[in-house]
Amino acid sequence: MNPRVAILTAALALVSSAYAADPPRKGEDASISTPLARSSTDADAMRARGEQRFHANCGRCHAAPQKFPPRMMATIVRHMRVRATITDEDMRLVLFYMTQ
Amino acid sequence: MGRIVRRSDCKLERACVWAGCVIVFGLFSAVLNAQMPVSAPETERPVPILTGNAGFFTNVNGGETELVPSITPVLLVPLGDRWLIESRAAFTGEFERTDGGGAYGGKVEQEIDYLQLDYIANRYLTVTAGRFLTPFGVYNERLYPIWIRSLQPTPLIFPLGTGSSDGVMMRGGLSLNPKVNLNYATYFSTLSTLKKFESDRKAGGRVGFFLPGPRIEVGASFQKELQEERANAFGFHFAWQPAAIPLNLRSEYARSHDGSGYWIEAAYRLSQVPFWQKAMRRTEIVGRGQQLFAGEIDEDEAEEYGLPDVNTKQGDLGLNYYIRDGLRASASYSRRFNSDGNVNLWTVGLAYRFAFPLGRVGPQ
Repeated sequence: MNPRVAILTAALALVSSAYAADPPRKGEDASISTPLARSSTDADAMRARGEQRFHANCGRCHAAPQKFPPRMMATIVRHMRVRATITDEDMRLVLFYMTQ
Repeated sequence: MGRIVRRSDCKLERACVWAGCVIVFGLFSAVLNAQMPVSAPETERPVPILTGNAGFFTNVNGGETELVPSITPVLLVPLGDRWLIESRAAFTGEFERTDGGGAYGGKVEQEIDYLQLDYIANRYLTVTAGRFLTPFGVYNERLYPIWIRSLQPTPLIFPLGTGSSDGVMMRGGLSLNPKVNLNYATYFSTLSTLKKFESDRKAGGRVGFFLPGPRIEVGASFQKELQEERANAFGFHFAWQPAAIPLNLRSEYARSHDGSGYWIEAAYRLSQVPFWQKAMRRTEIVGRGQQLFAGEIDEDEAEEYGLPDVNTKQGDLGLNYYIRDGLRASASYSRRFNSDGNVNLWTVGLAYRFAFPLGRVGPQ
């Protein structure tokens, strides 16, 4: 392996491990589930943010699909998280918008 | 002297590899200890899915008609809270009339584009092993499926640096601040001559910055071939989707041993046109300009890679009509200019995206 490639890989791993030490933010857990909305106002606000994130991330490549059942959406969003390197927060909000 | 230099290079290389291994091992230990997964509620637990797309297109290339039916199934199998198996195969027919007329005949090509295991280590890192789409530029990973791409003909530079790789990849996305998201992918691919799993020994990466406010993404890719010519390849990508108008602007540049070039594409949805609203909001017009500068490859290699072997310019115009969710009719016209002779390329057809659960999904 080229030393530069090894150094690049190690540097990326270091940066990532530094972030890994950062605990999940308040109201989040490490699993992939929709965040909890405590009231209907919260839910409306999250839905609006989710729609915004949906158009910013997903709408860049394809038209909005129909809404699928939550268990299907959870799989699709996990797939898109990997494929489109969507951030964790965006993924949670998009999942909320597409399922609630 | 040269021998001493090579030995010291070798030591440095080994040290780097060991350092990388130790850090990666440490990273996984830290992640596993720091974040124990908490299961999602039963109603939100992901279910295996069979999705993908099917299409039928008629292409007329320089007066020769070709029928191209295709089906591309994608299997997604989530395991627990952090794992995902994903695979995509492609079956593409290329049927032409035999010389002198007669019935259409040809072969059906079968490919495995990816068959990978993903582990979501934490919010910022996903580790992938297996066969995956090479993250060079964004077209291959994000825009290639026929129900997504705005124009059915792929860009001239598409074969440069892309394809599939067998190996390991680390990737992820993170918010640097509310105005900037960073996404990255880095990989190592091994040499494989196994049928349907062919890949080259290479390493590389891609980094992108996305500004959610103005919806602009810029990024760069790098690839180092670790066999034969040990050539380098690099590229840049740009995308802009202004919030005020339904316009999608995309562009890529790539340079490698096999050639270099660029494409710029604009897709505009006619939803703001004040008449025939019902039809116009389902209609999209597309334009693309592109150029390829042939690299140091001979005619046979160029044909194998799907690249023109001479400098080529091409202009493309397209029309898409979204009939309903997942079903789209498309047509395009391209004019190709090069020293082999200028030709017209026509494409018309339908693309359909499907998705079925492979388990109980409960109420919608």
